[in-house]
Amino acid sequence: MLANYMPILVFIVIAGVIGAALIGGSLLVAHQKPYPEKLSAYECGFEPFDDARRRFDVRFYLVAILFIIFDLEVAFLFPWAVSLSRIGLFGFFSMLGFLGVLTVGFIYEWRKGALDWE
Amino acid sequence: MFYAVAIFAPLIGALVSGLFGRAIGDRAAQAVSILCMLVAAACGVTAFFAVGFGNAPTETLDLGAWVQAGSFHVSWALRSDPLSTTMVGMVTFVSTLIHIYSIGYMGHEPEGTRYRFFSYLSAFTFAMLMLVTADNLLQLFFGWEGVGLMSYLLIGYWYDRPSACRAAIKAFIVNRIADLFFAVGVALVFLTFGSIEFPVIFGSVARHAGDVYHLFGTTFPVLEVIGFLLFIGAMGKSAQIGLHVWLPDAMEGPTPVSALIHAATMVTAGVFLMARMSPVMAYAPTALAFVTFIGGTTALFAATIGCAQTDIKRVIAYSTCSQLGYMFLAAGVGAYQASVFHLFTHAFFKALLFLSAGSVIHAMSDEQDMRRMGGLWRLIPVTYTVMWVGSLALAGVFPFSGYYSKDAILEAAYAAPGFIATYGWICGVLAAFLTAFYSWRLLIMTFHGKPRMDHHTLEHVHESPPVMTLPLVVLAIGALVAGYALHDVMLGPDWSAYWRGAIVNGPDNHIMTAMEHVPTWVSLTPSVVGLLGIATAYVCYMFAPGIPVWFATRLRPVYLFALNKWYFDELYDFLFVRPAMRLARVLWQVGDATIIDGMPNGAAALAAEGARGAVRIQTGSIATYAFVMLIGVVVLVGVFLLFR
Amino acid sequence: MNWTLALPEITLSILAMAILLFGVLRRGESFSVCSMLTLGALLIGAVLVIGQARGFAFNGQYVVDPFAVFAKLLILAGAALALVSAQDYNREEGLARFEYPVLMLLAVVGMLAMVSANNFMSLYLALELQSLALYVLAAFARDELRSAEAGLKYFVLGALASGLLLYGISLVYGFSGTFDFAALAHLLSDPSHASAGLIVGMVFVIAGLAFKISAVPFHMWTPDVYEGAPTPVTAFLGTAPKVAAIVLLLRVMFVPFGHLTSQWTQIFEFVSIASMILGSLAAIGQTSIKRLMAYSSIGHMGYALIGLTVGTVDGLRGVLIYMVTYVFMSAGTFACLIAMRRRGRALEKISDLAGLARTDGGMALALAIFMFSMAGIPPLSGFFGKLYVFLAAVRAGYWTLAIIGVLTSVVGAYYYLRVIKVMYFDDPAPAFDRRPVGLSFVLGVGAVVTTFFFVFPAPIVGAAQAAAAALFG
Repeated sequence: MLANYMPILVFIVIAGVIGAALIGGSLLVAHQKPYPEKLSAYECGFEPFDDARRRFDVRFYLVAILFIIFDLEVAFLFPWAVSLSRIGLFGFFSMLGFLGVLTVGFIYEWRKGALDWE
Repeated sequence: MFYAVAIFAPLIGALVSGLFGRAIGDRAAQAVSILCMLVAAACGVTAFFAVGFGNAPTETLDLGAWVQAGSFHVSWALRSDPLSTTMVGMVTFVSTLIHIYSIGYMGHEPEGTRYRFFSYLSAFTFAMLMLVTADNLLQLFFGWEGVGLMSYLLIGYWYDRPSACRAAIKAFIVNRIADLFFAVGVALVFLTFGSIEFPVIFGSVARHAGDVYHLFGTTFPVLEVIGFLLFIGAMGKSAQIGLHVWLPDAMEGPTPVSALIHAATMVTAGVFLMARMSPVMAYAPTALAFVTFIGGTTALFAATIGCAQTDIKRVIAYSTCSQLGYMFLAAGVGAYQASVFHLFTHAFFKALLFLSAGSVIHAMSDEQDMRRMGGLWRLIPVTYTVMWVGSLALAGVFPFSGYYSKDAILEAAYAAPGFIATYGWICGVLAAFLTAFYSWRLLIMTFHGKPRMDHHTLEHVHESPPVMTLPLVVLAIGALVAGYALHDVMLGPDWSAYWRGAIVNGPDNHIMTAMEHVPTWVSLTPSVVGLLGIATAYVCYMFAPGIPVWFATRLRPVYLFALNKWYFDELYDFLFVRPAMRLARVLWQVGDATIIDGMPNGAAALAAEGARGAVRIQTGSIATYAFVMLIGVVVLVGVFLLFR
Repeated sequence: MNWTLALPEITLSILAMAILLFGVLRRGESFSVCSMLTLGALLIGAVLVIGQARGFAFNGQYVVDPFAVFAKLLILAGAALALVSAQDYNREEGLARFEYPVLMLLAVVGMLAMVSANNFMSLYLALELQSLALYVLAAFARDELRSAEAGLKYFVLGALASGLLLYGISLVYGFSGTFDFAALAHLLSDPSHASAGLIVGMVFVIAGLAFKISAVPFHMWTPDVYEGAPTPVTAFLGTAPKVAAIVLLLRVMFVPFGHLTSQWTQIFEFVSIASMILGSLAAIGQTSIKRLMAYSSIGHMGYALIGLTVGTVDGLRGVLIYMVTYVFMSAGTFACLIAMRRRGRALEKISDLAGLARTDGGMALALAIFMFSMAGIPPLSGFFGKLYVFLAAVRAGYWTLAIIGVLTSVVGAYYYLRVIKVMYFDDPAPAFDRRPVGLSFVLGVGAVVTTFFFVFPAPIVGAAQAAAAALFG
């Protein structure tokens, strides 16, 4: 049974070997002459303004999460639409049920004001 | 349906007055519990007549399963055969009267405490009803322990009196000893019959008649052993000689309690048990002979003590003991019907006597010593009259109820074969004489002669309020007519139509017919000795008070023997209490303080260490927690891989 | 496609969404109305559960048998009691938002589905539905640091546990090729199919589920979450989800892995003993009564697991009876904890109970009953719970378990009795605020069931027996 996973093992080994070869090669072959300028963080050609771990508005998160939820909905709709002819009425109403639940969620977030920026 | 109401109305009364008594006040609690009791009495008496006279079907009302453990099945059930309904009718009726009486008797108690009393009384009634309506030994045991518990609480009702607390504990412990035997008996019944449901036991008792136990190289018939064990249980509850010591002390409780519990109902539970188990007892002749012996002995023994006591309630307490002896005497010779009949009539006149005594005590500002009474008959005429009725019934004078029941018992004892029955008969006749004697001694000392109380008390002597005298009158009527009215029904030629198989006399037992055919002189003897006793009492205490004094001085040892209750308390103190205390002291100082305490102290230190360790891992950091979980998985996988 | 078997769950889901819409569309405070509606929904759920037919639905993914029905009724009862006790507390603490009952209802839907799951897929979905709702509830007092921390901890560790569970399921699937419990059972009836990989997968599944019942060593979240979460949420966490999780565990162990009993017995023996010991030892030093209850629940799960370890019908019956007694005494105890408020402030130190017997005799008596029952003192229900599992252990020859169980319950009795001692013998602290009616109700129900269990144990014991027999098939 484990033999079935052989290709994956081969894949992992090859990946590991190639990765190691590239990094090891550069370590062995290239010149190593570090100086401060070279070691400093690089950001689109200019000095970083401040720490990258900056606070920003939680509303971005909220929008992102809401986006994911509704994005998933669409993702589920694709296979459903393709196989609609084969899954019959039950399949059709199952998706309607799913959409109904999402609509309830949507009404909730709307009424709670999650979609208002201010 | 109304049968169930009769059983559960007291429970409702007890719960309402007990749980909400403080909130709704004494008056409301009293009203509720008495209302419930009235309902119960109405239903109970109806059931008594419906089953006893109306030929209502005798059925078992199943209330649901209780215990199901393996092959051990017990249900809550209400049995309504004539034996049960007779008891239910009597208990609810008497209990209701006593509830009403208590309004007056407990009236001087501080406000805000009386609800407790009524709650206890109702709870007691409920437990007693569970006992008599049980359809299996476990429910009977439940009621048995329930009445024991309520009796304990009621004896110790005045918990600030050390004597009451001591009496309550004594009653509880003595009963516990007997209950142990009873419980073992129940266990043996289960082992033998595979069930403790009455129908099963009674149905298969004949098949187990030959079973024996092998023990110490001899054999014991199973049914005899069971009969003995159950009877010892009954002895404790019914205060038979040896286990009677708690009953006189129990008089520390309020008088209505004495009337209800220690005269009319609870103490008769043992007699009831014998009647209920009559199909089994029929196969245990040796045990029955023992019952006869104990019953007869107790009847005489308690009567002798009763003649020397001076506390009015104690006299009646010993009288109760003695009358219970009669009942066991009848049960022992197989005349359970006579036993239950006496139980029934006794409930009326003994409750009456106790309540009258309570009325006297009430009038005397809580004085109980008869030596400080006297000359009360003009001052409290109603009490005096009903006390006469009660005493006449107790002494068995025609046509009062005691006459019918006591005669029946003595006739049965005479008619029964065997010399133990004859011994019982002799004891019974002597006791009948003494019964009449001490009853009139009590009457005369209390009501006649010169007033011996102090001036202050005498001024306050007053007849009790109607709420107390009314129950007295009702009971007096009962004591007057119960015997005459029910004798033919319960013991007459058609007795089997009344009992309808609720009591089984056994295949070879013809006592019920034999007792009808005793010689005339035997029938007359109890009445004659009773009248003789009354006459003796008149002579000794009314006309020639010197005789008892002469008797007490000349036969001092005999007098002291009776006065000190045959030295039973002292004997038990010497035999059991003191050695137990000594043993306890040794166990305490050596066993407990050094050996036993050492172990838990060490264990506790260990536990405390463990607790500190266990709490230390609880750091609050999620990383640690997750790490522990992962280690846990590794350990579990490891466990599996290692032990596979 | 016998979808009517899932009618209670479907109805409750629809009702949950309806209540959500109602709450959000209504102007003004709607916590009370939504709570009442939720209680009604739970009642409807119970009626539907009782009236349900038995059988399989959704291609065998979903099962309704007496075992499931028993557990579902218990879950609904526990949830209803928890919801009733939350009412006044939430209003006082500013937590009276209508999402609270809705989240509870969703969690209940998840639990009901867990109990009926007959397939690893439906198991996982149901478990996650339940867990997600509980994570949010634990952090419901979001402005309070402790509650937020509790929610976060619960979530992170819960996610880890779910990960372990999923990993285990994937291993099982990988080595057997099926998610279905019945198919797995059929496959494993031939011992040669019990490969090492499959069994490692099973161990991972056990780890994931043990987290949900907070058995050692997956218990670490319990004290922090119990302490941090608002007390009514703790009351909920301590009752219904425990039932659902342990019932689910029973089903997983007995149906798909029923032929591997010899493999998992040692694991549960270890988990059970560790839980009992830790539950009784760690509780000794606690000063917060909520933490005390957390350790106590760990210990109780240890006792319940004895019945699982034993692996007989008796043992199973013992577990079910244990859970019944546990739910009612826990609900009652937590009602007491919720009632611990003085001048509008919630308290949770054991010392705050000092002299309660004199300031509020009724509550002291009730709490004493619960403590005695938890310590396993007859004739209270806790005694019978322990009795039935110990009995099963002794009958099956697991003396070690029974002896350790008895020893740890002696140790446990120490801290239960300490609470009683504080209530009855210490100098009274000032009285608590007046107890709301809802709490008195829950307290009363708990006390009555706990005290009078011995009067009518037969229906519960009988139902548990039938349920256990159903699982064995």
